Amino acid sequence: MSTKAGDENVKNTQMSSVQLDMNEIKKIPAFMGEVDILKTIQLMPGVKNAGDGNTGFYVRGGGPDQNLILLDEAPIYNASHLLGFFSVFNGDAIKNVNLIKGGMPAQYGGRLSSVLDIVSKDGNNQRYEVEGGIGLIASRITIQGPIIKNKCSFIVSARRTYIDVLAKPFIEKSDFKGTSYFFYDLNAKINYTLNDKNRFFLSTYYGKDKFSFTDNDNDFKTRIPWGNATACARWNHIFNPKLFSNLSLVFTDYQFSFSALQEDFEATIKSGITDYGFKYDVNYFPNSRHTIKTGIHSTYHTFIPTSVSAKQGETTFDLGKVIKLYSLESAVYISDDWDINQWFKLNIGLRAAYFIHKGPFNRYIKDNAGKVIDTISYTSKDIVSQYAGLEPRLAARFQLNRTSSLKTSFTRNFQYVHLASFSSVSLPTDVWMPCTEVIKPQIANQYAIGFFKNLKDNTYETSVEAYYKTMANQIEFKEGAQPSDNILDNPDNGFTFGKGWAYGVEVFVKKRTGKFTGWVGYTLSWAWRQFNDINYGLKFLAKYDRRHDASLVLTYDPNPQWNFGMVWVYGTGNRGTLPNGFFIIEGSLSNDYGLRNSYQFAAYHRMDLNMTFTPNRTKKLEKRKLRLTEEYKAQGKDTTTIQLSKKWCKHFSNSFTLSVFNVYNRYNPYFIYLTRRGDFANGTLKVGARQVTLFPILPSVTWNFKF
Amino acid sequence: MRFTIFIFIITIITACRKDIKLKMPDYKQLLVVEGVIEPNQPAYVFLSYSVPYFGEFDFETPEKAFVKGGFATVTDGVLVDTLKELDSSTGYFYLGSKVIGALGKTYTLSVKFNNKVFQSVTQILQPAKLDSLYFKGEQDSLGLIWQGFNEPSGSSDCYRWLAKRLTKDQFFAAPFNSVFDDKFVDGKEFKFAYDRGPQPNAIQEFRDDPERGYYKRGDTVVVKFCKIGKKEYDFWNTYYQNKASNSNPFSAPTNIKSTFGYQQEVLGAFVGYAPSFDTIIIKKK
Repeated sequence: MSTKAGDENVKNTQMSSVQLDMNEIKKIPAFMGEVDILKTIQLMPGVKNAGDGNTGFYVRGGGPDQNLILLDEAPIYNASHLLGFFSVFNGDAIKNVNLIKGGMPAQYGGRLSSVLDIVSKDGNNQRYEVEGGIGLIASRITIQGPIIKNKCSFIVSARRTYIDVLAKPFIEKSDFKGTSYFFYDLNAKINYTLNDKNRFFLSTYYGKDKFSFTDNDNDFKTRIPWGNATACARWNHIFNPKLFSNLSLVFTDYQFSFSALQEDFEATIKSGITDYGFKYDVNYFPNSRHTIKTGIHSTYHTFIPTSVSAKQGETTFDLGKVIKLYSLESAVYISDDWDINQWFKLNIGLRAAYFIHKGPFNRYIKDNAGKVIDTISYTSKDIVSQYAGLEPRLAARFQLNRTSSLKTSFTRNFQYVHLASFSSVSLPTDVWMPCTEVIKPQIANQYAIGFFKNLKDNTYETSVEAYYKTMANQIEFKEGAQPSDNILDNPDNGFTFGKGWAYGVEVFVKKRTGKFTGWVGYTLSWAWRQFNDINYGLKFLAKYDRRHDASLVLTYDPNPQWNFGMVWVYGTGNRGTLPNGFFIIEGSLSNDYGLRNSYQFAAYHRMDLNMTFTPNRTKKLEKRKLRLTEEYKAQGKDTTTIQLSKKWCKHFSNSFTLSVFNVYNRYNPYFIYLTRRGDFANGTLKVGARQVTLFPILPSVTWNFKF
Repeated sequence: MRFTIFIFIITIITACRKDIKLKMPDYKQLLVVEGVIEPNQPAYVFLSYSVPYFGEFDFETPEKAFVKGGFATVTDGVLVDTLKELDSSTGYFYLGSKVIGALGKTYTLSVKFNNKVFQSVTQILQPAKLDSLYFKGEQDSLGLIWQGFNEPSGSSDCYRWLAKRLTKDQFFAAPFNSVFDDKFVDGKEFKFAYDRGPQPNAIQEFRDDPERGYYKRGDTVVVKFCKIGKKEYDFWNTYYQNKASNSNPFSAPTNIKSTFGYQQEVLGAFVGYAPSFDTIIIKKK
C-alpha cells in the first residue's frame, strides 16, 4: 500500500509499505494535541501498538526491537518519551515518513520486521520562517531560513514539556512530593548545495527525559535521565544523470541511567549503546528498464548492557568493572528494480551481512554452583565471535490491468542487536545486547502476497495482503532473571532463545482526494513464540498477538478555515501472564502464574476527534484595511498611505486545534492487578481484580502559529 | 527495580481503576511441597494443593487445599524415613522420625503425585556465624536488627535470615527477601539489617499491625542465620520475586524455581538449613 501520489502503489514492486507526509499526519487527532508519527503509523494494518503507556510498535508479529527506526539515516534506539506517550519525533521538524513492513529492499537491513525511515525538513532556502505551537503540556518552536539564499539553509526545532511545572502544585500536596519529570528535544539541520552535482547535509537530534524524586524527610534522592543523541553528515553526489551516490557518516547514542542515594548508601545503574556508522550508496540507471542500487554499510557498536556501582559509607561493593561489548556490523548489497515488460516487474536484491563481536572481553567459566572457576580474556585485537549471512530479497509485480496488480515478495533478514525486557511493558530500562558467542543472530524469512487496486482515477486505493513470517533465535530473559544478574557475570547468561512465527491478512482502503479523505485498515493475525526454557517448552501467543485489529481514519476539510479529524481504533486485547492460582508457602500466599500469556485482556478501542480552525488572514486583512480606510476618510487623511503593521504581514497564519482523546471515555486496560484481603488459613481470604486505565476522556487545545 | 516499582505506584495512584471480573483459563492444580531438614531434627514436609483464584474453590474451607494421606519419604542414602501425618484428619503436616539431620550430609525427599514420584536433593552445609548483632532505632521505640558479618571469601555461599521474638512469636519468621548470596560481598566485612517478618498464616494481622516490620525495645530476639545451597537459594529468591511481581506489569511475572525440577506438577523445595543462633536483648531506654 502506498499513500503517495497517483497509481504508484499499483505499479511499483514495493509492497507492504506506507508513505505519509506531515501535512496528512497533522490532520489526524493527536494525544494532547502533540502530532505523533509513531501513533499515526500504528493506524496502519499490520502495525500495532501495545496499548497506552507502552513504548514501541509491533509489525507483523515481530518485537519492538525488530523495527529499524531511522532519523536522517541515524538509528534511534528508544523512539519514545514518557513511557510511549509521545514519540521523540517533533512533527514540525519532519518532512516525510516511510514505513516498510515487508518486502524490505536490500539497502535496508539489521532488523527483522520493518524500517521506519524518517527524513527531517531541509530548511527554507528562500526566506526565514518561524512556526510553533503552544499546547497544554508541551510547546515547540521551529526556525528555518536561508544562510545563503538558494544555496544553504538551516532549520532548528525545539520542544519541551512543562508537566513538571504544571503538576508541581498538585504533587507537592500529595505523597509524591519531590517528584519531577520533563522531556525536551532538539532537531537541527543544515543543507548546503555546492553546485548542481554536490549537496551536503548535516543533521542532528538531541533529546532527554529526566525523572527525579527527592524525599528530604527520609534523606532519599533518585535521578533517572535517559535519551538519544544522533548526528548525520551526508554528501549527495551526481556523477552523471545515470549515476549518483550518497556518502553518510552517522553517530547514534542512547543512554539510560538510574542513581539513588539513601543515607550513606549510593547505587548507580547505567546502560546504553553508542554507534559510529558509515554508509556509501550508489544508484545507477543504465536504461529505463533497470534501477540498480548498491552500497556498503558499516557500524561500530559499543554496548553497556548494565553497569552498576554501589557503596555504603566506606565500603565499596565489588560489582566488577563496567561491562562494555564492542562489535562491528557491516553489509554490502546490490539490487535491481527490473521492468521486464509492461506486465511484469521484478526487484531482485542480495544483502551480505557480517558481524564481529570483538574484544576486549572476558568470558567467565562457571561451575554448576554458578561460581566462576576460570576466565578467558580477549584483547582488543581478538575476535570473540563472528557471524555472516546472505539475505536474498525478492519482490515481483504482475500488472493485471491499468488499475490493478498482484505482488509477491520474499525476504530474509538477519538481526545482530537485540532488546530484552525484564518487564511485561516496554520501558526505557530495557537492555540492548549484541550478538555474542551465546546470542546468535535473529533470522527471519517473510513471504507476502498482495492484490492492489485503485478505483475512480486513483481517488481510492485498496489492497489485500497476506504474510507468513518465521523468526529464529528469538531472545527472552530466563524466568527469574534480574538486572543484577549481569553484574560480575557475562550479561548473555541471563537469556534464553526460541523461535517465533506469525501470519495474517491485511486489508486497506484509502480515499486519497476530496473533502473527505481517510482510510480503513483491518488485520487478522496470529503471532506465536516457543522457547524450551519458558512455558515448559510449550508454544504460546506473543503478548502483542492480536486476532483482530481495525482502524478508521477520517478527515474532512469543508473549507480552508475548518478541518475535522476522527480516529477510531479497535484491537483484540493483548496477551498477558496473570496469577491464575495461588499456593501456601511458610503460611503466606504466592502466585501461580500458570502458562505464559494465557490471559487475554479486554479489547482495546477508542475514538479521538479533533477540530482545527484556521482564521482567514486575507479576509481579516481586507476588513482591517477597510476599517482603516473609513477611519482615514473620516479624518480626511490620504488613504494611499495606509500601511498595516508588521503583525498583519501576509505570511502570518495561526490555527487552533481542539482535540478530544478517547471521546466515549472507554476504560482500556493498561494492566490488571489482584487485590487480597484476609488470610487463607482462617477462611477469611477475599480476592478481587482491579484494572488500571491510563487515559479517560482527555480534551486539549493547541495553538499553532507560523510566520 | 526501584524505578519500575515507583512508576507502578505512581501509575496506580494517578490512573483510573475499576474492579473487574476476571475470566481466567482453566486451572491446573499443583502439588505444593515445603520440606525442611535441620541438624539434630527429623525432616518435616507441608503438603498442599495450589488453588485457583477465580475457580470453584471455597475460600471458607481452606483445609480442602491440604493433602491428606499423602506420600513422602526422606532418605540419607542408608535409611528411608516415611513421613507421617501429625493429624490424619487435617493432613498437611508430615513429620519424619528415623532420619535425623546432620551437618554435611545429603538427603533426598520423594513425594508422589498423579502416580508419579518427584524427588529433590538437599545438603545441610556447615553453618556461618554472625560477628555482631545490635538494635538500631528507627522511630520511637521501634527499630531493626542489624548485624555485622565477615563473609568467608572464595566460595559460593548463600544465606537465609529468620528471627523470633521470645514470648511473642510462635515460629521463626522470615522477612521479605530473607535470602542473599555472596556475589557482591564475597570475602567482605559488612553490615546488614532485616525487618521483622510475618508469622505464618497471620498475614492480615501483620498488615494491620502498626508496628509491622519493626522490633521493639524490650524484645528479646533470637536470630537464626542459616547457610543454604544454591538451588535452595534460587527457590527462595524466585519466591520473593514472585511475591514482588504480584501482577505488577513493570516486573516480569516470575514463576518460582522448584527444587523438584522444571515441570508442571510439583512445586516447592526441600531445604537443608545449617543454622547458627544468636540472641539479642533489646534494652528498654
